Amino acid sequence: MKMYKKYLGIMSGIALSLSLVACGPQDDGKESGDTGKEEKPKELVVWEDILKGEGIKDAIAAFEKEHDVKVTMVEKQYTKQIEDLRLDGPAGTGPDVLTMPSDQTGTAVTEGLIKELNVDDATQGIYTEAAMAAQKVDGKVYGLPKAVETTMLYYNKDLISEAELPTSLEGWYEYSKGVADGKKFGFLALFDQIYYANSVLSAYGGYIFAQDENGNYDPSDIGLNNAGAVEGAQYIQKFYKEGLFPSGIIGEQGISVIESLFTEGKATAIISGPWNVEPFTKAGVNFGVQKLPELSNGKNMTAFIGVKSYNVSSYSKNPELAEEFVKFIANEENSKKRYEITQEVPAVAALASDPVVTESEAAKAVAEQSNFSVLMPNIPQMNEVWTPTDSALQTIATGKAEPKAALDQAVKTISGQIEAKHK
Amino acid sequence: MQHRKIALLLSVIPGLGQMYNKQWIKGLLFLVFGVSFIAVFADLLNMGFWGLFTLGTEVPRDNSIFLLAEGIIAIIVTCFGLAFYYLNLRDAYKNGKSRDNNQPLNTLRAEYQNLISQGYPYVVSGPSLFILIFAVIFPILFSFALAFTNYDLYHSPPANLADWVGLKTFQDIFTVDIWRSTFFDVLGWTVVWTIVASTLQVSLGIFLAVLVNQKDTRFKKFFRTVLVLPWAVPGFVTILIFAGLFNDSFGAINLDILAMFGIDPIPWLTDENWTRVALILMQGWLGFPYIFIVTTGVLQSIPEDLYEAATIDGASILAKFKNITLPMILIAMAPIIITQFTFNFNNFNIIYLFNGGGPAVPGSTAGGTDILVSWIYKLTMQSSQYSLAAALTILLSVFVIAIALWQFRRTNSFKEGA
Repeated sequence: MKMYKKYLGIMSGIALSLSLVACGPQDDGKESGDTGKEEKPKELVVWEDILKGEGIKDAIAAFEKEHDVKVTMVEKQYTKQIEDLRLDGPAGTGPDVLTMPSDQTGTAVTEGLIKELNVDDATQGIYTEAAMAAQKVDGKVYGLPKAVETTMLYYNKDLISEAELPTSLEGWYEYSKGVADGKKFGFLALFDQIYYANSVLSAYGGYIFAQDENGNYDPSDIGLNNAGAVEGAQYIQKFYKEGLFPSGIIGEQGISVIESLFTEGKATAIISGPWNVEPFTKAGVNFGVQKLPELSNGKNMTAFIGVKSYNVSSYSKNPELAEEFVKFIANEENSKKRYEITQEVPAVAALASDPVVTESEAAKAVAEQSNFSVLMPNIPQMNEVWTPTDSALQTIATGKAEPKAALDQAVKTISGQIEAKHK
Repeated sequence: MQHRKIALLLSVIPGLGQMYNKQWIKGLLFLVFGVSFIAVFADLLNMGFWGLFTLGTEVPRDNSIFLLAEGIIAIIVTCFGLAFYYLNLRDAYKNGKSRDNNQPLNTLRAEYQNLISQGYPYVVSGPSLFILIFAVIFPILFSFALAFTNYDLYHSPPANLADWVGLKTFQDIFTVDIWRSTFFDVLGWTVVWTIVASTLQVSLGIFLAVLVNQKDTRFKKFFRTVLVLPWAVPGFVTILIFAGLFNDSFGAINLDILAMFGIDPIPWLTDENWTRVALILMQGWLGFPYIFIVTTGVLQSIPEDLYEAATIDGASILAKFKNITLPMILIAMAPIIITQFTFNFNNFNIIYLFNGGGPAVPGSTAGGTDILVSWIYKLTMQSSQYSLAAALTILLSVFVIAIALWQFRRTNSFKEGA
């Protein structure tokens, strides 16, 4: 029996070593590539945002005709497309063209999911500066802007007339003082989240990452605890401390609470984004929108400008054609058409003064607010900013921490995370 | 040379040994099987093992993560192959031995009968075992392997390759300040949560079941129905509704219930300790009906004469409960109670849906009520720290397995069956 075990051992050894010889891919990484040009009918797959497909239907038809290709459009939630691309891309079922929020650009470029585009200066020039800057990583262009959105002020016309509207945040503070009684509130905002609080912090001089003259971000220079940011945070804390903001709008549930307070007419004004125009209209609220109010230092409240973009997947088999499509779909004419159907404010500079845009109150508010906006940093390090800063703002809102201490702590956490995760 | 050695040696190529033993058909079967195994899987094994060792050498051709998966499949396939190879060798050797001893060899038919009659359990469970390996073992191996790579945002395909880094990720968890403090905070709360919440729901369930099951309780059916109701509503719906009820400034609990007693509003969602209390209460509410039902069942099976004898001996109600009811319940329910603990250890739903792991705590990367699973979820989904999340998952499983094993060994329920 012992002998047999020994033989067995030797033989398994031989078998194993045999299977390990000549491992690895035998081709030297030479892709066979598309050699047959123009032979097979080309096909493009385009991922468009959910429920926004209608807006590019005509453009797709025109593009199909012009280039003799078949374009298949699939609707997918635009914030999730990168996630799907990670799996669908290598599997060969991914898109050629996709759309995503530009703050994901840095991550997507780091992972190599999207392709650099070759866009001349003239084409870049038709878009607003901020929207175009959002498409760039290290000075290279990776997409073209599709739409922009900023937060704005919603007010209930039944509770306040347009003439009475305070123009400054201080004015709203005074107004809220007169109205807030624990059941009804004046002005409300989710200032426990950096996405909204940055409107105040950055107007006072705070910033997330410092930028050099070329627009590149320096993740080691975080300005969320500088004097300006602390001043802003102290100002924010006042609203919570004096009961003008109820503690029930702090935290995860805040967003749904604040929206229902507004629809129920229990809040006169809130800060929110264009995505709420439709739900509020459906809810039958008699509301108006405006750019954000001014601050006591004379500056207007800023807003993060969110840019949606069209990008080319690096897994695309027809990258030239896909790039062509992106340029086509993002041009002025198609941007306008898209706006008319989807109501998403286009990033084309010339359209900002176009009657179709200025006619709509919401689009006008976004366009106006865009002048007082900061770009959301699109580098991957931004991922580390959200949670610690929100935590700090939350503790400031609940009064558990002093603004200076909380923000110092947040910045320490952020730089610690960046050091640990982004080497 | 003996037949068994020659047969064994020839079996290096599957089937030849059997042919040497003059078992032609079987030999042919082994040969065909062996050749087709190599033919079918050569590519997979080649790429798989190469990929497993290198995790790719060239971008964008190689995708580390796919190579890793392929490599693990290759290992599994190889294990099957080796098992087959072992069978082949053993068969040749055994039959050779029989020839050496001048015993007659089994016919193919007889061997088939043998296989069916003796190996019946294995034959029947074989297919499901095969599926189990790919549906359960493969993902476990995959996430296990991920923990030893540096797979994160900066080592993601297609732009970059991941690489093996050994135990570095584990080392980081315990050496990088920000992770170490968070890890121990989260682990501490996870343990407290598991113990308190599970104990609450179990004892509440048992208590109510015993209460309702008392002889003099009237309207038993009514009480049973009412007490099972919390279980009839889907858990996540209950959690979301409770989240609304617990809201600091607008929830009914603060505004109506507590106000009725003149108690000041409690910061349920903004103070971590109150959130913890709320979570534990909710889990008690969600978890007790199941224990209640099972205990009710167990109670029916406790023989009445035990109580009668105890009554004659003059035992008090409490003594009867302590010495008869509770031991009987615990023996019958130990496995169920243990699963309650392991379930709560990984109870992602309630933590995430109630307050998203919040409220925020200064200086921590996790929220005040985050348990390990919800923290892992945040790491993976929000910051692409895949290898870190995988490493934490391993630590988490080690913890759960250790507790479960310890508890299983301490209970009597499993000893008798073994």
